[in-house]
Amino acid sequence: MASLQEDSISIDTLDERLKIQSRIEELPDTDDEGVPFPGKGQIPLNRPASISPSWLQPAVFGLFHIDDGTTTMEAQQKTTAECLSYLTLKDSQDLPLNLYGLPHLRRKAHADFLRVTLGTLPAPYAAMDASRPWLFYWTMAGLTSLGEDVSGYRERLMETVRPLQNPTGGFGGGHGQLSHCACTYATVLALTCVGGLEVVDRTAMWRWLGEVKQADGGFKMALGAEEDIRGAYCAMTILALLNLPLELPQDCAARKTGLNSFTDKLGEWVSSCQTYEGGIAGAPTNEAHGAYAFCALACLSILDAPHKTIPRFLNIEALIHWLASMQTTPEGGFAGRTNKLVDACYSHWVGGCWSLLQAATKSPNDLWSREGLIRYLLTCCQQPGKRGGMRDKPSTRPDGYHTCYSLAGLSAAQNHYHYHTEESPTTFLSSAFQWSASRPSKEEMAQWSIEEEDRVRLVHPVFVVPMEAVERARLQFEKGGL
Amino acid sequence: MPKYADDPTWADIVPLPTDEGGPNPLAAIAYSDDYSETMSYLRAVMAAKEHSPRVLDLTEDLIDMNPAHYTVWLYRAETLFALHSDLRAELEWLNETALAHQKNYQIWHHRNLIVDRLCGEEQGVVDEEGLWKAECEFVEQMFERDAKNYHVWSYRQWLVRRFGLWGPVELEFTERMLARDLRNNSAWNHRWFVVNGRAEMEGDGGLGVEDPEVRAREVKFAMEAVAKTPQNQSPWNYLRGIVRKTGMSLGHLKGFAEQYASLKEPDEVRSSFALDLLAEVYVEEKKAKEAGEVLDLLATRYDPIRKHYWQYRKGLLGVEGAAAA
Repeated sequence: MASLQEDSISIDTLDERLKIQSRIEELPDTDDEGVPFPGKGQIPLNRPASISPSWLQPAVFGLFHIDDGTTTMEAQQKTTAECLSYLTLKDSQDLPLNLYGLPHLRRKAHADFLRVTLGTLPAPYAAMDASRPWLFYWTMAGLTSLGEDVSGYRERLMETVRPLQNPTGGFGGGHGQLSHCACTYATVLALTCVGGLEVVDRTAMWRWLGEVKQADGGFKMALGAEEDIRGAYCAMTILALLNLPLELPQDCAARKTGLNSFTDKLGEWVSSCQTYEGGIAGAPTNEAHGAYAFCALACLSILDAPHKTIPRFLNIEALIHWLASMQTTPEGGFAGRTNKLVDACYSHWVGGCWSLLQAATKSPNDLWSREGLIRYLLTCCQQPGKRGGMRDKPSTRPDGYHTCYSLAGLSAAQNHYHYHTEESPTTFLSSAFQWSASRPSKEEMAQWSIEEEDRVRLVHPVFVVPMEAVERARLQFEKGGL
Repeated sequence: MPKYADDPTWADIVPLPTDEGGPNPLAAIAYSDDYSETMSYLRAVMAAKEHSPRVLDLTEDLIDMNPAHYTVWLYRAETLFALHSDLRAELEWLNETALAHQKNYQIWHHRNLIVDRLCGEEQGVVDEEGLWKAECEFVEQMFERDAKNYHVWSYRQWLVRRFGLWGPVELEFTERMLARDLRNNSAWNHRWFVVNGRAEMEGDGGLGVEDPEVRAREVKFAMEAVAKTPQNQSPWNYLRGIVRKTGMSLGHLKGFAEQYASLKEPDEVRSSFALDLLAEVYVEEKKAKEAGEVLDLLATRYDPIRKHYWQYRKGLLGVEGAAAA
């Protein structure tokens, strides 16, 4: 509880938080009548995982791997070959196995791996000198999704990011670096995780965001930098979490072109990023890409309720079609583009789209294979041995980025996220705060071959930090203003 | 060995060392002395808003050490423009740098700024054609190393837009890229852009695939690709894109799809994408039963990883089927 007091949240907001917390942790135990004997959940209810699921039958994935001599297919075959013995559990890599025969989630090893990236890093990490805020975010998000307490990092993180903040607003990658949407986004989210947002100069932030807002509705990543959909998602995340005014600052350039609000023309701009394939590109006419699909959907889910904005600005059936096609056979994880390889980071970038889309379509049923993704992540993406951490695919080394987004993807696959339609429209960006989450039923866990130990916590589907951290930020800035 | 502190050209600058924020910073990088010193000079010149030739040397030095440093790139561009520097020399330097740091992407935004300025009012190169030709060639050289580099393709699109390269030469380029790898979806996306971009971006000529002749040509192009690689999603997506944009009847594609998958020969399916298209054809024909059978084939046999998605499609069918009945 010491950490809660440090958060400088008043007592009544604490009560609020506890209420929210209980809503989040409520069990939708739909499977009570499922198995009429005690100890359910301890006994493999389904077929054991060691028997290959349908998409791992050679006859099926053979269709996807006809050798046609292309560079693309060569790379695909190499990837399948390196994954197959892990997927079919012929090789367990000496990982401890759960009741269903899948490797356990190596919670402690992954947490240790993440904590190491917060220590002193050797000189070659100078390559990360412009993206250090990402290290903070990946670690805080990863640790919290494993259920680790990060409140102990609060003071140190606030101290560390202080020199990264520019007096003209926003955060750069390091001291003396220009403010950048991605660095600012990562810093704000990391601070959200530890409850340290008071270090942010909100007024300066609002002015700086006004400078990166563009006449066409989108956002540049930094002054003088490129305009892409990451900018739109990052800016909207920052505006919503800090509850900044939506009116543009008086003197910003976008205002001179007739825009009044940060949200003006934004939906239209996001819309212009949808490609002929149905997916979303980083900028108009570029190639459809999984990471940008999440940016688009999350951005629209902040703009207003997903069932309003997503069908209004995107061809939703085409988008679902494309996203579904990103799940790879036989690996079961997601690729980021058509004819590209599976990569664990898309477990979040594509995997995280489904709860937003389900809210948009109000579809009661899943549109994707949670089971396939879970199997890929647990069998292929956990680094064996002492080191821990998660990786893109077996032939790569683990890093903070892949560990964070593998865990976020696991959370998307293992949990349920529900959007609660707002009663009355409000003026601020309230829609992203209308989510609740629930755990899987025991029946589902058995179906997906996971035990309690393999579960990651509920992660906010739009902001990708713990649900309760988002609630804390909402309460902190409830008053709005500057 | 201090590089800048002992250099008389830098004697007037008081370097600004890194502020780590406190005694225990998180994820602190143990910078090399070299990097640390160079950065402290950059901080100092940026704080003084100095734009001078020596800033170009300093930024070059830093980019060599850390090409992912967006601040250095942006400040370098600002300095180049403030000094009215020779941008052709910059371009030559960029060629070497791009080849040395292929994964870096800041470089492509920088290149974009430089080339744009070169052709702008100020420098107004005489030989624009020579410039874009050299740029296109350089880009193609980059594709020999990584044919799917997102930022290089984005730069290529910018070149097409900036110099109006909507003609057959650029189409041939996409054909060259696809001849190397028919599954290179970035090349397919570029083809779509070359065919339709002018109409979409500028609206000043060309209808893209809405021109019947162009449509016929592009449909044929995609079909020929499918014939070579039936289980290749790229040309199928391309066909679907044409259908969606033009509103053409899917009936035109039925016979084609049936060459690769048909309900009559459920054991002989050569492409799951053909089945997917066939299901849509049946929906258009209001044959919900057949569409359902095709989707079942996908869910249970040919594409089970997407079982839930195919079932979802079947669910939509129920509604439409009922409406049709």
